[in-house]
Amino acid sequence: MDFDFTQEQVMLRNLAREVLSQECPTRVVRQMMDDPVGFSEPLWQKLAETGLLGITIDESRGGQALGMVDQALVLEEMGRAVYPGPYFATVLLAASLIRAGGDRAQMDAYLPAIASGKLKATLATSEDTRTATGGPEGTALHARPLGGGYALSGTKRFVPFAHVADLLLVGARTTDSSDRRRGITLFAIERDTPGLKLTSNVSIDRTNKFSTLTLEEVRVDRDAIVGRVDEGWEVLRPTLQRAAVGASAEMLGAARKCLEMSVEYARVREQFGQPIGMFQAVKHACAEMLLEVENSHSATYYAAWALDADAPDAGVAASVAKAYVSGAAREVCGSAIQVHGGIGFTWEFDLHLYFKRAKHFEALYGDAEQRRELVLREVLASTAVPVLA
Amino acid sequence: MDLHETREDQAFRARVRAWFEENKPDKLETLEQRKAWHRKLYEAGFVGMGWPKEYGGQGARPMEQAIVAEEMARANAPGTINGLGIGIVGPTLIAHGSEAQKHRYIRKILTAEEIWCQLYSEPNSGSDLASLRTAAVRQNGHYVVNGQKVWTSQAHIADYAVLLARTNPEVPKHQGISYFILDMHGSGVEVRPLKQITGSSEFNEVFFTNVAVPAENLIGAEGQGWELAQTTLGFERGGNVLARVTRHKANLNRLIEVCQTLPRDGGTALDDPLVRQKLGRMLVEVEVLRYAGLRILSKLEKGQRPGPESSVDKLYYSEMDKRHQEMVQEILGPYGQLEEGLPPELELDSESLQGHEAGWAYNFLWSRAGTIYAGSSEIQKNIIGERVLKLPREPRADRMGGKGA
Repeated sequence: MDFDFTQEQVMLRNLAREVLSQECPTRVVRQMMDDPVGFSEPLWQKLAETGLLGITIDESRGGQALGMVDQALVLEEMGRAVYPGPYFATVLLAASLIRAGGDRAQMDAYLPAIASGKLKATLATSEDTRTATGGPEGTALHARPLGGGYALSGTKRFVPFAHVADLLLVGARTTDSSDRRRGITLFAIERDTPGLKLTSNVSIDRTNKFSTLTLEEVRVDRDAIVGRVDEGWEVLRPTLQRAAVGASAEMLGAARKCLEMSVEYARVREQFGQPIGMFQAVKHACAEMLLEVENSHSATYYAAWALDADAPDAGVAASVAKAYVSGAAREVCGSAIQVHGGIGFTWEFDLHLYFKRAKHFEALYGDAEQRRELVLREVLASTAVPVLA
Repeated sequence: MDLHETREDQAFRARVRAWFEENKPDKLETLEQRKAWHRKLYEAGFVGMGWPKEYGGQGARPMEQAIVAEEMARANAPGTINGLGIGIVGPTLIAHGSEAQKHRYIRKILTAEEIWCQLYSEPNSGSDLASLRTAAVRQNGHYVVNGQKVWTSQAHIADYAVLLARTNPEVPKHQGISYFILDMHGSGVEVRPLKQITGSSEFNEVFFTNVAVPAENLIGAEGQGWELAQTTLGFERGGNVLARVTRHKANLNRLIEVCQTLPRDGGTALDDPLVRQKLGRMLVEVEVLRYAGLRILSKLEKGQRPGPESSVDKLYYSEMDKRHQEMVQEILGPYGQLEEGLPPELELDSESLQGHEAGWAYNFLWSRAGTIYAGSSEIQKNIIGERVLKLPREPRADRMGGKGA
């Protein structure tokens, strides 16, 4: 029983923190917020050099072959630094999906290019239909066989960093099935394919730019299929579990930063002749923030470990983490603004960057309600889970 | 990071589970039956597991203690009966008692031949325990004790107590308190059950009228009582972190079963998205409690003491329980409040930690205690704020140089 990180993991976290604090202070973050592209190519290359882009990619393809715990450690630092760029989209979403479902040719083509910083990619999962669990059951974008390949038409929403992605991974309905999770097929589509249209969105978190993706009779060959026809769910499921844990790690990073800023502020800010942290109203708010941050840490890293260990409750744990941390980060980042008072509500003060970062991940990859429903379903369906033991 | 149980722990768990399957008793009615069960647990090596071997314990690892407690909860077996004696009194005597005191009392604590209680809180001294007023006045080789204690669990069955009493009212309040062993059967000790909002009486009031306590019953030095009470750390650490989760989950599983039979809008309550959200939230929160518990156990296994962080644990589970019991009530509606007349298919068949039947209504009412006893939520937040986050301490009137209580 060891809940501590290994020395290597601590070094990895320190490395990520060092690179990000040197290359990505909030001054840079703010420049990227105003920039239509929204990320720095030199910093991307730096992330490639330090091995952070290939963190989970196998060594033969230029990666480090590390696990989800390591990935979560880096993502926590990304959240903490409000790193603006396609890291989550490329390294977590796209690389995980290709590793889960890609054939050898796809892995050889894409994974070394991701690890070396040559290829950016993203995954399009959301559509307009909201599902009870946040899963892909609502996929309406369809692909029909045409010639030897397929023609895709439809719309995806909230596709992160699609505007800079060289490769778009898209789930499409190939068969109408009574089980809405079946009949979905995943396609890897290169950006310059005719018929792809992107409309950029401006959301409150300007460090995470996303687009609406419209496909009109986009023609792809059969070799663009990732995984098996109609069985995209088998590939999406592990990817979305990793996304849930990764998003939790990002939110945890933002929340921990908010806690640290609040405690520091409460120590030095004086009103009524004493530091505001001396007042129980403020002190207790900070204590509750610590509780939420520590629980979020436990939930995030337990789930990351469970995925790495292929534990029987890994699926439940991923949803537990996303459900819990979504609420906890909301509370912590919100309390941080309250503890800071007026200054926390200004654009020039950095607090809102973390607040919005957490909000971004709260709504995506299964929000708290959807993940709670998923936890209940998994508990009802499974006897392997300790909850029903 | 590796959260697997070791092979040894898995094998140990299997042995413990088999033992409980074989030995779990039917309902225990009398104190004698409960003492006999305790004795059986003791002989199996499941009592005082963390105590040093030289004092009759097992010197067991925190993980082993947690496994036994968890398996006991899983089997829904009755607990031990001398929790305060084993958790607090014994370790205090081992650390601070005289050789004569150790020789006289320690062995019978583990075997529950003598039951102990803890005389701390007073009507006017709750969170501010150090303001206590029960007086112990030295006269001719003994102390004369007068005053009143409250919230004393087990006082009605206890043979002995540890008592915090004021021996010197002339010094600042923390310095005038001493720590005694008190014979609960002695003359002048009166125990009155305290009826709580649950209708049951887990706690008592204890009154002292000119109770004579022999001077040799002083633990440590006169005036050292506060220090001893503050620094006493039990050997039985971490034991409860998984058992608590298991017990909570068992009730939650029962609630899910009940929801499958509770009619609602032509279906069952389990079809109702609002109910499902509540069940999902409870499942999530109790799983997080389990993960946090594993993190605490990981620390303990490495020989690290959980410091003020244990306040985070206590704050979370007690507030969580209160929240969950409210949700249980929302789901069950007026059925949840029934103390009698609940249809059997809706019943919660569980035992309270005090060894009597605990239904939904009882658990709901009892949950209000958790955020008050053993340091209220407000006290825990002060500890977290001041000792973990290092926020400035509040100026306190009682620390401004005034006299004792």
